[in-house]
Amino acid sequence: MEEKIIAIAGNPNTGKTTIFNALTGSRQKVGNWPGVTVEKKEGYYIYKGIKFNVVDLPGTYTLTGESEDQKIAIDFLVENKVDVLLLIADASNLERSLSLLVLLSELHRNIIVDLNMIDLAEKEGIDYDIGHLEKLFKVKFVKTIGNKNIGIEELKEEIYKKCKEQVLEAFKFNYGVDVENIISEIEGEINKLNLNYPSRFLAIKILEKDEIFINFLRNKIDYEKISAKILNFEKNLKKSVDMILIEKRYGIIHGIVREAIIEKKKELEIELTEKIDKILTHNFAGPLIFLFIMFLIFNGVFLLGEPFKNFIDLILEKLKNLISNSNFSPYLISLLNEGIISGVGSVISFVPNIFLFFFFISILEDTGYMSRAAIVSDRIMHKLGLHGKSAIPLILGFGCNVPAIMGTRILENKRDKILTSLSIPFMSCSARLPVYILFTGIFFSKNQGLIIFSLYLLGVIVSFMTIKFFNSFVFKQESIPLIIELPPFRTPYWKSVLLESWTRTKYFLKKAGTLISLGSLILWLLSYFPNPENYGSEFNYIGRIGKIISPLFKYSGFNFWQAGVALIFGIYAKELVVSTFGTLFGVEKLSESLKIYFNPASSYSFMIMSLLYMPCLATFLILRKEIGGKWAIISLFWTFFTGWLISTLFYQIFNFLKGG
Amino acid sequence: MDRLADVKEGKYKILEILKPGKLRKLSNLGIFIGDVIEVIKPGPGPIIIKKGNMTVGIGCGIAMDIIVEKAE
Repeated sequence: MEEKIIAIAGNPNTGKTTIFNALTGSRQKVGNWPGVTVEKKEGYYIYKGIKFNVVDLPGTYTLTGESEDQKIAIDFLVENKVDVLLLIADASNLERSLSLLVLLSELHRNIIVDLNMIDLAEKEGIDYDIGHLEKLFKVKFVKTIGNKNIGIEELKEEIYKKCKEQVLEAFKFNYGVDVENIISEIEGEINKLNLNYPSRFLAIKILEKDEIFINFLRNKIDYEKISAKILNFEKNLKKSVDMILIEKRYGIIHGIVREAIIEKKKELEIELTEKIDKILTHNFAGPLIFLFIMFLIFNGVFLLGEPFKNFIDLILEKLKNLISNSNFSPYLISLLNEGIISGVGSVISFVPNIFLFFFFISILEDTGYMSRAAIVSDRIMHKLGLHGKSAIPLILGFGCNVPAIMGTRILENKRDKILTSLSIPFMSCSARLPVYILFTGIFFSKNQGLIIFSLYLLGVIVSFMTIKFFNSFVFKQESIPLIIELPPFRTPYWKSVLLESWTRTKYFLKKAGTLISLGSLILWLLSYFPNPENYGSEFNYIGRIGKIISPLFKYSGFNFWQAGVALIFGIYAKELVVSTFGTLFGVEKLSESLKIYFNPASSYSFMIMSLLYMPCLATFLILRKEIGGKWAIISLFWTFFTGWLISTLFYQIFNFLKGG
Repeated sequence: MDRLADVKEGKYKILEILKPGKLRKLSNLGIFIGDVIEVIKPGPGPIIIKKGNMTVGIGCGIAMDIIVEKAE
């Protein structure tokens, strides 16, 4: 079958994802762009016997090599044989999309502009003379309403036609004589090099002072000569050339859009969005509403997911029983039950929660609330060195750290993703709760709620301190100023929301599922050998490791090997801390045994350790996937170190005060 | 002349954007010196402005470097 490549580009909030979903339906997958953590979405559809492979490029306002997202888009268009570039434009804010069209046209000739959300533009009293736009830009314009599936068939037909036709005359933006002259001069220098990038595009990048492309070309051309020319040009015009380019683009486009606009009667009172914004971003009410929404999501993810999770657990339990009662060898039974089902099962049972998490997040994104949430939480996050958007995955970390780390995909830059991901493991997820309930029930039965609350609070404080620490000593960057567009409020497009949630859940299942199988196998081998009859005991490798690490906790108040083993199993999944004690001491004697080994101070110290060190293997593996192996290992050691340090400090200070 | 971070709700004209990097960021969004903007949510905290059909949230750090004057 003949295949074609379609790349989708556009500004954020133009409905790119909706169009991508409308074109590809469920035939899509999500992953990462090679070597980076930016999400890559691919899908396909078949039309008139041709398979159209659709790639969703990261949303962008401009094209500079300095932004990871934008460099991906540039390189994809340069390195791949893209048959049609589909630019999704917000019909109610066309100027900015056309500015991107001008930039993209320097990279690609075969472009279709999708005037999406045309219904919203019409409600604002705007319609366009498409013929006029097509004549000026020499590209096809198609009107769509992505969330209602209107115009999608026409779009498919235009893409099909575009693939078949030859572009005879491509659009070239004219920046005016002065600027065009200097572009030509630089282009002449670059032309000699025979590079992958179009020489005019590179010439414009040099004029825009794009450091990445300047460094790319510095040793290949006489950059000093070009730089002197640019300086001279700026001196004459008394203005920075990069600003001249932007102003020229917007100036000319503004004129074109004014000519192409057909004013209609305004239907919708846009002021409604403004009124809602005043409440949602209010300095006092805004944070309360934000917390309430997060509370609803947090509860929704777990309350609605619980029956499904229990159902999966039940099936897994039945499967385990079936295997236990089979004629398999004890070795195989243990491998299947303790190794595979317990390991992979612990991930699979999270799937309903993860699906719900992405479902709610997609709703927030689709309605436009996500940008408002970033505004509301910006004040506190700004002080830490991040901006408002980071607060969303952090709060969701209270539910489960794994989807919360995946949720950092909503952050645009790598530094923000790393900082937020490093701090998420300290947010006390639901898996820590059984540990708290066990110990507070035994040692703090009268103040159980208060003690558990103090642990949640401690997690938040350490999380913030982690951001501050890494930002001050590792990244050493000023906090990034927030500039975020607030799209008008929209009703979510449910099909798109469901597709989004399922695609992301599938990605989680595939990646975490395969990696956790390997992790489970390693832990099982350590627990099973060399004495299979004493699974997870001091006589096996896991117990020996427990004995090696337990002296580390001499000053934390719990330097016995059982605690060491429980903490090791806790890396696998925090719930296993409790079940390890159950296995080692026996469920019936658990309370009495723990009272022998622990006192209130050492039990609190142990809870601090359980709270702060790496939550689970799945979190580690997701960190590895999302921010890379180096940072995942740093997080592993950082969480362990902070856990050890704070639990030891607590225990020592407590004993000192008590002694004093 | 006031800093955007200090003004109340209302319409303002942008007179100057002090840092070139911030000027470029805003320009890429389609906000330029000379534009008339409407402040929907003033400081403290991030400021929300409106230009045409576009609503933008601006952090305090940037708003401090945007010099505006009251527009008619």
